[in-house]
Amino acid sequence: VRTHSQHMKLFKNKGKDETTLRRQRVEVSIELRKAKKDEQILKRRNISVHVKEENPSLGQDRAYEIIQPSLEEIVEAMNGDDTELQLLATQATRRLLSRHKDPPINQIIELGIIPRMVEFLGRADNAALQFEAAWALTNIASGTSEHTRAVVEGGAISAFISLLSSPHMHISEQSVWALGNIAGDGPLYRDALIARDVIPPLLALVSPATPVGFLRNITWTLSNLCRNKNPCPPLDAVKKILPVLIFLLQHEDKEVISDSCWAVSYLTDSCNDRIQVVVDTGILPRLVELMVSPDVNVVTPALRAIGNVVTGTDQQTQEAIDAGVLAVLPRLLRHTKPVIQKEAAWTLSNIAAGPCQQIQQIITCGLLPPLVELLSKGDFKAQKEAVWVVANFTTGGTVDQVVELVRSGVLKPLLNLLLAKDSKTILTILETISKLFLAAEKLGETEKLCLLVEELDGLDKIEDLQNHENDMVYRAALDIIEKYFSGEENTDLEPQTGQDGLYDFSVEKQDFNF
Amino acid sequence: MELSDANLQTLTEYLKKTLDPDPAIRRPAEKFLESVEGSQNYPLLLLTLLEKSQENVIKVCASVTFKNYIKRNWRIVEDEPNKICESDRIAIKANIVPLMLSSPEQIQKQLSDAISIIGREDFPQKWPDLLTEMVNRFQSGDFHVINGVLRTAHSLFKRYRHEFKSNELWTEIKLVLDAFALPLTNLFKATIELCSTHANDASALKVLFSSLILIAKLFYSLNFQDLPEFFEDNMETWMTNFHSLLTLDNKLLQTDDEEEAGLLELLKSQICDNAALYAQKYDEEFQPYLPRFVTAIWNLLVTTGQEVKYDLLVSNAIQFLASVCERPHYKHLFEDQNTLTSICEKVIVPNMEFRAADEEAFEDNSEEYIRRDLEGSDIDTRRRAACDLVRGLCKFFEGPVTGIFSGYVNSMLQEYAKNPSVNWKHKDAAIYLVTSLASKAQTQKHGITQANELVNLTEFFVNHIQPDLKSATVNEFPVLKADGIKYIMIFRNQVPKEQLLVSIPLLINHLQAESIVVHTYAAHALERLFTMRGTNNATLITAAEMAPFVEVLLTNLFKALTLPGSSENEYIMKAIMRSFSLLQESIIPYIPSVITQLTQKLLAVSKNPSKPHFNHYMFESICLSVRITCKANPEAVGSFEEALFLVFTEILQNDVQEFIPYVFQVMSLLLEMHKNEIPSSYMALFPHLLQPVLWERTGNIPPLVRLLQAYLERGASTIASAAADKI
Repeated sequence: VRTHSQHMKLFKNKGKDETTLRRQRVEVSIELRKAKKDEQILKRRNISVHVKEENPSLGQDRAYEIIQPSLEEIVEAMNGDDTELQLLATQATRRLLSRHKDPPINQIIELGIIPRMVEFLGRADNAALQFEAAWALTNIASGTSEHTRAVVEGGAISAFISLLSSPHMHISEQSVWALGNIAGDGPLYRDALIARDVIPPLLALVSPATPVGFLRNITWTLSNLCRNKNPCPPLDAVKKILPVLIFLLQHEDKEVISDSCWAVSYLTDSCNDRIQVVVDTGILPRLVELMVSPDVNVVTPALRAIGNVVTGTDQQTQEAIDAGVLAVLPRLLRHTKPVIQKEAAWTLSNIAAGPCQQIQQIITCGLLPPLVELLSKGDFKAQKEAVWVVANFTTGGTVDQVVELVRSGVLKPLLNLLLAKDSKTILTILETISKLFLAAEKLGETEKLCLLVEELDGLDKIEDLQNHENDMVYRAALDIIEKYFSGEENTDLEPQTGQDGLYDFSVEKQDFNF
Repeated sequence: MELSDANLQTLTEYLKKTLDPDPAIRRPAEKFLESVEGSQNYPLLLLTLLEKSQENVIKVCASVTFKNYIKRNWRIVEDEPNKICESDRIAIKANIVPLMLSSPEQIQKQLSDAISIIGREDFPQKWPDLLTEMVNRFQSGDFHVINGVLRTAHSLFKRYRHEFKSNELWTEIKLVLDAFALPLTNLFKATIELCSTHANDASALKVLFSSLILIAKLFYSLNFQDLPEFFEDNMETWMTNFHSLLTLDNKLLQTDDEEEAGLLELLKSQICDNAALYAQKYDEEFQPYLPRFVTAIWNLLVTTGQEVKYDLLVSNAIQFLASVCERPHYKHLFEDQNTLTSICEKVIVPNMEFRAADEEAFEDNSEEYIRRDLEGSDIDTRRRAACDLVRGLCKFFEGPVTGIFSGYVNSMLQEYAKNPSVNWKHKDAAIYLVTSLASKAQTQKHGITQANELVNLTEFFVNHIQPDLKSATVNEFPVLKADGIKYIMIFRNQVPKEQLLVSIPLLINHLQAESIVVHTYAAHALERLFTMRGTNNATLITAAEMAPFVEVLLTNLFKALTLPGSSENEYIMKAIMRSFSLLQESIIPYIPSVITQLTQKLLAVSKNPSKPHFNHYMFESICLSVRITCKANPEAVGSFEEALFLVFTEILQNDVQEFIPYVFQVMSLLLEMHKNEIPSSYMALFPHLLQPVLWERTGNIPPLVRLLQAYLERGASTIASAAADKI
């Protein structure tokens, strides 16, 4: 039971509680869009050709000199006993799988050589063979789920975990990579890896002496071990990884920081208990600091992580506020990248869903001007989120706070967005307008708000929405018109009724459609 | 019912009878059909008839009957019996698409409607092969068939434009996209190619353009909820082709009709909508294409004529520009002085011109004209769109735009001055331009509340508006008169009070104008001026300032009600009410005449009450007369009763429902004026007030309660003795 629940009721007795207001990241699991370009990569293929220095045995590996054996020859050589031929065949396979375009993953799988290559992983006596096999398998695992499954079913998990402790750094590194691909496939393999105790040897690789390239790979694999929901990764695994992530977040390399942030963002994209685990590490101030990093690849996941934290309880949200999130959000709301604007607005919308003390902090920290700016000029995705900020604000805010919001000029862009081509946004705005009127009624300023709405061309738009095809939109518009804009004539008459003689025919109002 | 020839024959007979003009034959046949529609095979019999009947009229009749049958019965409502048996459902779904596609257009439309009704319930889960069945027809090459498919698809998918995002909806859209997006794109490309191979074949072009319109509409529906991956990947294909279609013209597709939009206009209009959708929602992805569209749409505007058939296209196109020019990152597309000048000159000014169609409406359809011009129901008009564009441009370029337009306003005014009777439309456009340039915010109650400071409104008023209104001939240049009056009305808060006072006699004078628009505007302007508030919340214009004009004001107002077309003009009646309210006791000398005219009017309109606003203000005016007069002279109540009771009795006797609540309220008012006993005239009415039928209408109850209260307060004893038996 939440500490603030009593408190909330005092301020939000409008039939909604914070659980409906706070919007988790995933509302709809079906996507029509292209997979998001700002997401972290799930699986990666090693197509690097700059392996010479890492792999002394391949010193003469230059494409134009190599005669590529046929697939039949590869199978034969791999299954044969000649170690030299095994190496050449594995190398040839790796080369096929590393070529830039259309690696023949399916064909290689169909050859049935995966178990054999897994076997090669165990050849502690032949580092070159181990490495080539590890690389080839990494690239197979980088494909579709089916491809990854072929590698896992070939028995690669244990072999790769053992190789983490290989004395050869390049082999250990390639294994980290392969395991990252397997973990990235989804919760099933991720948890299979964790169950085989992948974490201790993996974490053991992190030390101040680890070369940065290697560290990047480790961080990325760690992030995949934190990734995915349904279910989320086991709690004890998370608790083991977190201290290392916090260490990595202090690193100077941007990629390491970026992937660490991604990892934290996955851990916070979860239930409140999990958010608490992250909050307890005291990492929030560092994340807030990273939200304004000059590197957008750091900003994106840091913002996400904090955005997830504020979907949590009021106390968790307060921790984020105390860490300074409100001071950095204005900059992000004005960011040049629309996705960042959108995420920042989403974050703010969840803070606005909090108790009125937090809403007050939004005001005090000067978030209203950038919010109004975003509403009027932002990218549509961001505008939609900004509408939610206003909606939550008007639901949870006190009358004074709502007045402050209106004074900041929110009404004009909000009313403009009634032209948005999105029914849900329109409905949210209409509901928000109704709430503004409730506040105005309390202040006895209904008429003033009516005039303001009309002046800003809102009345025309609301009237027009009475023709909207969506039933709920149409009804919400009708409701506002009937409640606040149909008695226009009578408001003219009212001041005089009873004194100077104008007669009040108000009972007849229902017969009119002004 | 079996699928037998005998049953087909019977059904044919009954269908034929449902077309009979004689209700005695038609009704029983309709009843019969309804009584058998629950039987198995009934819908299949209809489908057989609409396909195979010898008579075309039976085919059409069967198709309409079928569609209505589907509409009434297809939906399975929870806890209610399934009204169509499962085997019929399966048979219908298996046959309807090919049947629809092979039918002539008239029948095709009915079946297409039926498919979308079925689709709404069954698609996609219970009708999994519908999409593939439709898509397969794209290859047929027969555009009659293809258009049938497209039309059906459009009616199935258009709900994506207004429904809320949900997992269920998006799953369906995804399914549709997977099956439909690629074939649609290929069809789009193929159709465009065919358009160029058949560029000289008018009848082929018409069919192809109908397809293109439907394809463009489908594009809108499929892209509405979010930008689908497929369309993002194929944006080049779609946008390049849309762009070239916007610039396309072909003599063969031009229509002679001035009113009805032709295929070319409809297509371009839809493309503007599509571009606007992308610009609004997917700006990031659409950015590379946007400048091209701005140019194309702007050129389109420059080359499109003034005919009514282009209105939708032009207003859509202008709205597109208006929405783009407000966005900060597209500012650069407009900021060049030459661009601005050219937009002002070639896009805005021409679309502000008063057209033949406006002139017609001004003269022959004044009610509609007033509604559009005064009450802002002009959302889709060219003028409104042009006005929005001005406002959009002013956001970033207020100075330059004002400068450019000032030049235009001056030159148009000069044109007018040279030869007013020929060039009066130039002045109309100049006034409109000034109005749209100056008004930044507006309400009905206060007129313009925020004005462009670069425009000198008072100077324009004194130099160009007042002279028109001062002219001795109120019927000359009625449009300019109306413009001038409207100017006073909307800028009433910007123009100084002394200028308003100068205008009042001019407005009163124009109540006599023959033009409905002019005298209506004059009444409305007076009414608005009389509601303005000055300091201390008192009216800005005082009764004392109005004193010299009372007689002429009242005379002209009531005379205006006798002008042709204005016998129930609500603006005039409202102005009467407002004048009473402002003038108070200064109207007393005129009350005898006023009340006579009001009761005559009441008597006349009670025959057929049709204008609720008019009636409301009329009763308000009557009440005001009573109050104002009786406040000064309580004895006068008798003469009001004398004047009104006759009409009231008639209203009550004829049970004029709209007026009865008003009558009770006026009676209460009159009765409350009596200090002593109830006059006998009231007592005679008392028993009737207790009739249950009066109390059945909720609208009657509050005024009746009030009236009874007035009775009881004054005549409790009389009632107790005289009417006790009736209670």
